[in-house]
Formats: sequence, structure tokens, C-alpha cells
Amino acid sequence: MREFAAGQRVLVRAVDPDGHTRAPRYVRGHTGRVVEAQGRWPLADERAAGAAEPRIETVYTVAFPARELWGAGTHEVTVDLWESYLEPAEEERV
Amino acid sequence: MSRVNDVGGQTGFGPLEIEADEPPFHADWEARVYALNMALVRGGVYTLDEFRDAVERMAPAEYLAASYYERWLHAIETLVAERKVLGDA
Repeated sequence: MREFAAGQRVLVRAVDPDGHTRAPRYVRGHTGRVVEAQGRWPLADERAAGAAEPRIETVYTVAFPARELWGAGTHEVTVDLWESYLEPAEEERV
Repeated sequence: MSRVNDVGGQTGFGPLEIEADEPPFHADWEARVYALNMALVRGGVYTLDEFRDAVERMAPAEYLAASYYERWLHAIETLVAERKVLGDA
């Protein structure tokens, strides 16, 4: 599994799962900055679907500029997101 | 597909009503619903994530018309029926 570092820019995958997920629609496809890791937790999507052994992944607090999400605003919105919801942002890829 | 609960960024719901010194429950039945859910989760009937999924599976109009603990009760009823924990009443 990939680990993200504090300060790293990450893109929330623009997925559209059928079942329960904890990636709200308003952050999908948007780029934010990792604030910190919040430990490792069972992936909610898999546990909600009744998986006997859901994947255990790091959950990251990710900050998004309000302007990135809503087109306006000077504040940040922080969302806790599982590792598999995220990928490195374009400029982070080597 | 996003469900009716995923309303971040949508407008029209009005301001959040913040109660001063809000009690944890506004009626006894709410406390019973809370306790029932905790008992079913801790008893291994379903997980908290399966419970959240059941809340989100509510019909959109019903979800929006329901209070917080009414949604909890709906999810409990859904899961208990699906898992055949109770016989038919």
C-alpha cells in the first residue's frame, strides 16, 4: 500500500461506488493536501458490504481550499479519507 | 451512485439549529433506539458501517422527512428484517 506524507498533495479518485462510502461527492475529483495520518481502520466501503475481513488502511485528514470545492471562499474544508480513495496529485507523480 | 444523505454543498436546507445545552435525547424513545442499536452492533448482528449503509438506503423522500433517530429506527428495522433476527410479527 502507498503511504502519503503530511503536506503531500493528493487527488480524490473520481469514483462512484454503488454502496456506502465515506468519500463525499463534493471532494471526488478534487485535489487537497494531506494534514496528518489518523491511524489504520477497516475500509468502511468493504465493512458496509459485509466483508468478513475488510482491508485495513490508513485514514488521512486532507484539507481542501474552499475555492477548489465551491468556487469561492478563503477557508479550508478538512475531510478524513481512506488511503484507497486517494492517489498522488498530478504534480507529485514522477 | 451518491445517495440522498450525501448533501454536502447543497443549499436549501436552512441554517443549522444549534440548541444551547442540548440534551442527548429529546424523547425517551430516542434513547431506546440508541440503546437498541448499540446492543445489536455489540451483539454482532451488524456492523456500524452496515448500519450507516441501511440509513442511506432509505427512500430519498422518506429520508429527508425523517428525524435523526427516526432514520436510526428505520435502519434497525431494515437490518433486523434482512438478517431474520425476529420472527414475523
